[in-house]
Amino acid sequence: MLRLPAVSRALAGAAHSKGSISTTNNVWTSVRASSNMVEVFVDGKPVMVEPGTTVLQACAQVGVQIPRFCYHDRLSVAGNCRMCLVEIERAPKPVAACAMPVMKGWNILTNSEKTRKAREGVMEFLLSNHPLDCPICDQGGECDLQDQSMMFGADRSRFTEDKRAVEDKNIGPLIKTIMTRCIHCTRCVRFASEVAGVEDLGTTGRGNTMQIGTYVEKMFMSELSGNVIDLCPVGALTSKPYAFTSRPWETRKTESIDVLDAVGSNIVVSTRGGEVMRILPRLNEDVNEEWISDKTRFSYDGLKRQRLTQPMVKDASGQLVATSWEDVLTRVAGALQGVQGSEVGAIAGGMVDAEALVALKDLLNRLDSETLCTEEVFPMTGSGTDLRSNYLLNSRITGIEECDLLLLIGTNPRYEAPLFNSRVRKSWLHNELEVAMVGHKVDLSYSYNHLGETTQVLQEIADGTHPFCKVLAQAKKPIVVVGSSSLQRDDGAAILKAVSTIAQNSRAISGVEEGWKVLNVLHRVASQVAALDLGYKPGVDAIRKNPPKVLFLLGADADCITRADLPKDSFIIYQGHHGDVGALMADVIMPGAAYTEKTGTYVNTEGRAQQTRVAVTAPGIAREDWKILRAISELAGVTLPYDTLDEVRRRLEEVSPNLVRYDDVEEANYFKQAHELSKAVNQSLLAAPIVPPQLTVKDFYMTDPISRASQTMAKCVKAVTEGAAAVDEPSIC
Amino acid sequence: MFLSSTLRSAVSYAARQVRSLHQTSARAGAGGIFVHRDTPDNNPETPFEFSPENMKRVEAIIDNYPEGHKAAATIPVLDLAQRQHGWLPISAMNKVAEVLGIAPMRVYEVATFYTMFLRQPVGKYHIQICTTTPCMLCDSDSILEAIQNKLGIKVGETTPDKLFTLTEVECLGACVNAPMVQINDNYYEDLKTSDMDQIIDELTAGRVPPPGPRNGRFSCEPAGGLTSLTEPPPGPGFGVRADL
Amino acid sequence: MAEYANVVRRAVGQLGGHGGVKGFLLQLFRVNDIKTGALVGVDKYGNKYYEDNRNFFGRHRWVIYTTEMNGKKTLWEVDGSMVPAEWHRWLHCMTDNPPTTHPPEPKKFLAQVHQINLSGTSNCYVPYSTTRKKIHEWVPPKAGEK
Repeated sequence: MLRLPAVSRALAGAAHSKGSISTTNNVWTSVRASSNMVEVFVDGKPVMVEPGTTVLQACAQVGVQIPRFCYHDRLSVAGNCRMCLVEIERAPKPVAACAMPVMKGWNILTNSEKTRKAREGVMEFLLSNHPLDCPICDQGGECDLQDQSMMFGADRSRFTEDKRAVEDKNIGPLIKTIMTRCIHCTRCVRFASEVAGVEDLGTTGRGNTMQIGTYVEKMFMSELSGNVIDLCPVGALTSKPYAFTSRPWETRKTESIDVLDAVGSNIVVSTRGGEVMRILPRLNEDVNEEWISDKTRFSYDGLKRQRLTQPMVKDASGQLVATSWEDVLTRVAGALQGVQGSEVGAIAGGMVDAEALVALKDLLNRLDSETLCTEEVFPMTGSGTDLRSNYLLNSRITGIEECDLLLLIGTNPRYEAPLFNSRVRKSWLHNELEVAMVGHKVDLSYSYNHLGETTQVLQEIADGTHPFCKVLAQAKKPIVVVGSSSLQRDDGAAILKAVSTIAQNSRAISGVEEGWKVLNVLHRVASQVAALDLGYKPGVDAIRKNPPKVLFLLGADADCITRADLPKDSFIIYQGHHGDVGALMADVIMPGAAYTEKTGTYVNTEGRAQQTRVAVTAPGIAREDWKILRAISELAGVTLPYDTLDEVRRRLEEVSPNLVRYDDVEEANYFKQAHELSKAVNQSLLAAPIVPPQLTVKDFYMTDPISRASQTMAKCVKAVTEGAAAVDEPSIC
Repeated sequence: MFLSSTLRSAVSYAARQVRSLHQTSARAGAGGIFVHRDTPDNNPETPFEFSPENMKRVEAIIDNYPEGHKAAATIPVLDLAQRQHGWLPISAMNKVAEVLGIAPMRVYEVATFYTMFLRQPVGKYHIQICTTTPCMLCDSDSILEAIQNKLGIKVGETTPDKLFTLTEVECLGACVNAPMVQINDNYYEDLKTSDMDQIIDELTAGRVPPPGPRNGRFSCEPAGGLTSLTEPPPGPGFGVRADL
Repeated sequence: MAEYANVVRRAVGQLGGHGGVKGFLLQLFRVNDIKTGALVGVDKYGNKYYEDNRNFFGRHRWVIYTTEMNGKKTLWEVDGSMVPAEWHRWLHCMTDNPPTTHPPEPKKFLAQVHQINLSGTSNCYVPYSTTRKKIHEWVPPKAGEK
């Protein structure tokens, strides 16, 4: 057998596939047993688990779900709800499955009489103080307590005493608290202190009068605060904007992607009757785990306000008036026909999908124009955007969990990419990750080594003269992350060069394997990577230097170019979904679709292509962006060769195949070459300190057209500046 | 409009009354409710600073615990703050959090959990009378009545001169000397109503009467004299064979 | 023979009763009927009311609408609501007393000028919506404002 490994393997495979018990199977078990695994039995079924596995996890491995309230995969074990009590054979009393590590040979009885009795008893105690207000409770239909009391509870109540009542807390404009419903699982407390890093929530008092709260009048001020709504197993913490609007069984769920930051969090858009009712996170271990930021979760009401619902043109008096698609399309096509080459330019905004980007690029290329820009600047000197590894978060978000030293440069990830920051915090907490930062000192929810905010510090680290270089030299797996905001500066190229030098040096010293990536760029807008992949020029300098006659703004709302930068008679076309900065200066407005209204490809800062899905139809007579561009091209006599989404995607694949390889991250690793090329940069660093634009939580909420239109986000800003009481609304229940 | 607001206030008043039926003794005591409300004498601006000698004590307490486990010193440091200030205003809790480098919420959690941390002002002498079963059987009710008559306050109240606060507490572990009260750190045991009057008089006069049993007992020996081990202990050689 | 003579007499009467061939054709195209009858009255808008009891009940009273009413051309676009209230009751046989002989009691709720039904016109009544707007569209600022 040993001499014929291939044959034996084939035989073993055949035996395995037949499912017959053969000698190979026995050999397997003995091999695994010798590798320090523990064998336990769940209802008599044997399972091999790692030592230290809890009873609950061992049961999960054989597919037995144990009821729980306080236990959560991503939080520390509390063991205070007692719902997960199970009987262990020959154990004197039931054990809490979530907190008890398994021992060899245990037989866990998950459905024995004793177990069921224990669950029923726990459930009765939990319900004894829980109000019976399910009909008016927002958690109804997705309530763990409701579901589990149906599954495991008694069929009647023996409780005749009065119930406990707890005062509701005002912890901000996002989370509604009905504390009487609280069952004291402390998931929210643990989330706040472990994941969010804001130790504002806690348990006060004791016994029957124990309550969850902030003790003092205080907002739960975290960029991830909305996640406690999902965590809460009962209706104690619910969403304030969503209150009393719909029930989970009425809504249609669409799996989509968030585009309000460059992380590309996976979301579920719940809709009812053509209206987005709420946004929930979707599990993706590689991106957002199961959290989303408050902006992602709560700015959906911005999708319903300030919307462009019909085409508009400026009349003789300069007033924008509504008109028909035929009218605008012929006007735009006419304007485009009258210009050639650099007389026409385009700026793409931060929330445009790759399909629209490629359609616009093809359209303008057919008019002999190469003036296609993005709003975000990226230094074009050196290798610029030619090498993909230059502008990606190459280490990926999960790479943070492997590294041992993280150097942040000119970024505030807490507000620029909250879920990236939560990964950093997770590593900082569990993996002893050391974090250092060059840039303005901000609260990142974890401690870090602040090296200074001047560019001089950066230069010193690059030169190897800074004391921090010793720390850097000791790192086994270093990561350097530069924020895209610091590259917006005039000396962006010099900063990138310095960062590249630091990354290259630390790679050389650490002796990390070739596949490990050190240099990372953290973007702030969702469309940037796709735009650069498609060959857009970063920054609007080209347009400012050489103002075109016709300027096409594709969702460009960052106010990076104004009327004053252009000749008086220039014709500005705005295509987008919100009446914001771009629409204000436009001569013609074409209403496009927002991210919940189209199937679009977005590439996140890691270079991961993901797609949004149509959750609702675009409002009014707004249309999907690439379709509008396709229609213009036909009228302008330069018909684009695609009529369906699949054809557009085929074109995307032609340009850059990674754009259609969904949920896959294309490797990019040309740091050496990029570094060589960056040596040619002879720009000097400016003296101005590196200050990212989003410093405090106030700057976090309103950053893009959707969140600027959102009343919830406006309330958040007001609550942050004036206190939670300023936006408090009388509670209905 | 007027009617409805009157009605609402009446209802809320009634609701408050009903709710008060379900107060635990911890809540009825000096602990108060488990949320903080800013009051003129208890708000984040209430001046509180550890005195220099107490600061030294705080450092000594923190040194008792290993590096990185400053949080373990929460209870002793809170106690120190309470001894210094008489009770624990929110500013004192914030100060403790600052000294220990932990989140204020973690301090609030501890301070609200233990009933011996007083989060509302108390008088100079905090009289805690035990009314749990053994004391009650030894007529602690008469002692309670005596204190109330003497001071003219009810349970949970403070005298206008801020000298005495009366709190009803659960068992203080001196059942053998029932009935008893605890005044600040001292136990006064085996009380009769006359003893209580006398103690309060002494305290009012500024003297602290000696703590301990009031019926002549030294400590917790049987009240009616020994019932066993009454004879003198046998000397060496007791019960040993005579020939050894 | 006599019945044929009767038919001819009626035909001639109908031709003449509508004012010659032209009037006859107009009546034929406008009303799709050429019957003649006794003119009971004309209201102030010019609607003419006829009665001919030789027709069976239900067709024995009819109205020939005026060609212009309340500023609206009603030569071809006629509407049942052009009949004012006082004639309506006679026309629909609620009473046998036409308002010519029995003028209606003046009531303050009776309209001075009878209104034609506005349904289907731009002035028709549209109930306003009480539902919440799902999408609030962007309203461009007035030109010249900053």
